[in-house]
Amino acid sequence: MKKLTYYPGCSSHGTSEEFDKTVKMVMTSLDVQMEEIPDWNCCGATSAHTLSESLAYALPLRNLVLAEKLDNKTIAIPCASCYQRLKVTKYHMDNNPELALRINTTIVGEGTYTGKVEVKSMLQYCYEEIGLEAIMARVTKPLSGMKLACYYGCLLTRPKAITQFDSPEYPISMDRIVEALGAQATEFDYKTECCGASFSISNTEVVIGLSGKILEMAKESGADAIVVACPLCQSNLDMRQPDIEKHFGKQYHLPVFYFTQLMALAFGADPKELMFNKHIVPVEEALAKIGKVEPGPEKIKKPKKALEAESEVE
Amino acid sequence: MARVGVFVCFCGANIADYVDVPMVVEETKKIREVKFAIEYKYMCSDPGQQLIREAIVQHRLTSIVVAACSPRMHEKTFRKALSDAGMNPYLLEVANIREHSSWVHQKDKKAATEKAADLVRMAVAKSIANEQLFEISVPVTKRALVIGGGIAGIQAALDIADARIPVVLVEKSPSIGGKMAQLDETFPTLDCSQCILTPKMVDVASHPYIELIPYSEVIELEGFVGNYKARIKKKASYVNFATCTGCGACWQKCPVKVPNEYNMGIDKRKAIYTPFPQAVPNKPVIDAAYCTMLLKGKCGICAKVCQVGAIDFKMQEEIIEREIGAVVVATGYDLWDPKPYEEYGVGRFKDIITSLEFERMVSANGPTNGLPVRPSDGKIPKNVVFIKCIGSRDEAKGIEYCSKICCMYTTKHTILLHHKVHDSHAYVFYMDIRAAGKGYEEFVKKAQVDTAATYLRGRVSKIYKKEDKLIVRGEDSQIGQVVEVVADLVVLATAVIPPKDNPELARMLGISYDKYGYLSEAHPKLRPVETAKAGIFLAGCTQAPKDIPDTVAQASACAAKVCGLFAGDTMKKDPMISTVNTEFCSGCQNCVQVCPYGAIVTEEVPMGHGSKEMRTVARINEGVCQGCGSCVAVCRSMAISLAGFTDHQIINEIVSI
Repeated sequence: MKKLTYYPGCSSHGTSEEFDKTVKMVMTSLDVQMEEIPDWNCCGATSAHTLSESLAYALPLRNLVLAEKLDNKTIAIPCASCYQRLKVTKYHMDNNPELALRINTTIVGEGTYTGKVEVKSMLQYCYEEIGLEAIMARVTKPLSGMKLACYYGCLLTRPKAITQFDSPEYPISMDRIVEALGAQATEFDYKTECCGASFSISNTEVVIGLSGKILEMAKESGADAIVVACPLCQSNLDMRQPDIEKHFGKQYHLPVFYFTQLMALAFGADPKELMFNKHIVPVEEALAKIGKVEPGPEKIKKPKKALEAESEVE
Repeated sequence: MARVGVFVCFCGANIADYVDVPMVVEETKKIREVKFAIEYKYMCSDPGQQLIREAIVQHRLTSIVVAACSPRMHEKTFRKALSDAGMNPYLLEVANIREHSSWVHQKDKKAATEKAADLVRMAVAKSIANEQLFEISVPVTKRALVIGGGIAGIQAALDIADARIPVVLVEKSPSIGGKMAQLDETFPTLDCSQCILTPKMVDVASHPYIELIPYSEVIELEGFVGNYKARIKKKASYVNFATCTGCGACWQKCPVKVPNEYNMGIDKRKAIYTPFPQAVPNKPVIDAAYCTMLLKGKCGICAKVCQVGAIDFKMQEEIIEREIGAVVVATGYDLWDPKPYEEYGVGRFKDIITSLEFERMVSANGPTNGLPVRPSDGKIPKNVVFIKCIGSRDEAKGIEYCSKICCMYTTKHTILLHHKVHDSHAYVFYMDIRAAGKGYEEFVKKAQVDTAATYLRGRVSKIYKKEDKLIVRGEDSQIGQVVEVVADLVVLATAVIPPKDNPELARMLGISYDKYGYLSEAHPKLRPVETAKAGIFLAGCTQAPKDIPDTVAQASACAAKVCGLFAGDTMKKDPMISTVNTEFCSGCQNCVQVCPYGAIVTEEVPMGHGSKEMRTVARINEGVCQGCGSCVAVCRSMAISLAGFTDHQIINEIVSI
């Protein structure tokens, strides 16, 4: 049995309950025991790092120090924003001794940071530490027939120097995971464009414009649904979809799933357990595709690099 | 007793503004051995030198100190002044009070003056122990080695050979011609690249003074200026060039197809091939990485069809040696792989190509009959977006420098596109248009009018696919807006980079290279084709990105340098070299280990006078020694001495302050 430290983040207790729940379901089926960081606190996302540098690092650092008390190699974080804050803090603690010394003093009494725990997003954990083969082996209800546009957002793979995971511009880890589940990942060029993030509340117009383009491109890629790994992306693309449709006078009908919801589904979980009722855009039409393999789906081939092509004999 | 003359230079305002020159002269006059000291506005000028010449005679001076700029600048000038006055030129000492004082201490005149006085005092102390030294003569092998057979190597070889000096031209690929042979037309006159290049290639092959060694690499260079020995590896071509007639039967019948490097992999060549029809020599080689006969022992069709029996599957690589006196390095350039531009979808979208791929397509002898086509569907593109500075001037993904040629060849490409596809439209995303050169700006201006290409000043941030089109999203910084262009084909002007084995080559030759891997010239302005190692010269892009006119000019300059070097039967060399006092030498051979030039060998000498027992001592080859002094520093017995920099002189300097 693998063991894993879990940092749920506050959205897991609110808007992204279904992410939290399905992460737990998936990890149980993959035989991973998750230990939640005891007495974890807010990562400080957005508000802290726009106001105070020391607070921006101190909040995640306390979580890192508490996580070190558990004896696990990795912390996995479902929320992209929490992941970003903890990862950036870890990066500076490890590479910027001057700053590290300064922040360390802000959390006196909680313990000392040693840097022994690896910070990964839940997506990265599934891709790197569980692996596609183990995921594929657990699939009992393949998602064949479903075409999915995998949307990563801007934080999961960026900046590359810090995240050190997948491509910052055209990541493929989630695509490979949904393919392992039996679905087809579409060629989707907007997978790392910004969705508008927290402007959803302060300046909704911005989100309507940005998320609108993402929906448009996802639809054009031939997808039946969008898959995400970030609570804010999910809420912008799902919750604002009716507004976007109204604004542009178009119909998308693109449900927005967490990748763990689809993993649980493919692993044979009862769909009623997966909290699809929390979605704004109805999921039924997309889920109905499962099992229907269209004749001759367009095969996505990687273009061969000119000189790498092997020789051929006539 | 020594009689020292000191000459302090104002260097116009360069020294005088920050150093109190008369004060330095006054300080200097206090030194016992200084019999004459004077300041002058420009010591390097003719009246300045005249001052030195007269003082030498008048004051019966025994050594001279000039306090001025760096000895790298004018040491030779002043040595000549000494010679002219009948004095041994090596009795000169230069105190560098410009680079070492006035330029670096511009905010503190008092301190700068004190430091200048100290520097002069040290030079005086050193000069007291100066001895007469005499130039060394070394014999010269009058044969030049040219490494690389692109336009730079071709031009250098022809110019040297035309002076009736034998040249060995080594080219690593099967044919000379280099990158220029891949070009269609050349800016700014649009003359056909092949038409101006191939006659020169033929001249190389037929020149009585040029030995062309294709499909070979220089693997070792030993010796010193005028007396190098090069070891050259001739790769196994599996074709006997002496009997092969170049008829072509073999490559017509060969069943193995391989991506064609000459056409950037757009089409295929055979496993036995000549790179292109105008190749020189026009003899094929077998690509051992693909030939099924060599890999699996099956096939051998080429040997069956060859009328003259030139195919030899058992051929081995061969090492040959050539004695030469000078080397011209002309290894050219490579192009940067745009893979890091993931936001453009490089590697995912077939219809994004590089400029050299575009060049091959529009070439008359190219793989697509001279027409640009979309690799995805073979259709002729109408809207073509050219993006410049891919990897150039890009610290984040590529390199900092400007590749120099992309602005011009992209302009040329808009013209070629316009000529080939009349109803096409070119869009050019650029940062700046750098068109400095004879006729260049006019060329760009005319092209902009003639082709009506849309120039957009700004960077492209993303390329994505919409149906079968590529949408290029970038900034037009002149209107301050994001623009999207629907493109059929995107052409990336990728950066010029040095060949990846340049550092290895530089180490083998004993010359230096910069942080990018370009080979370093001795002085960026005044010695642009020389390297720091005597007798090795640089031509073309191996030194920095440059266009054809600059490359040819540099190649000819190299030829002039080689001819100059070979003008006499012997060569003069500075006498500042190390000598071993074998009486003191313990034979530890530490000096042999540290010598960067391989100038130290060992020899056996009798243990004592008349003794039959022998002991090992170090001996320095005076032709090879460059006078770096490393051996002096490691010698535990203080047996090695560097002429002009003896321990005595250095200690004098230290004691003087």
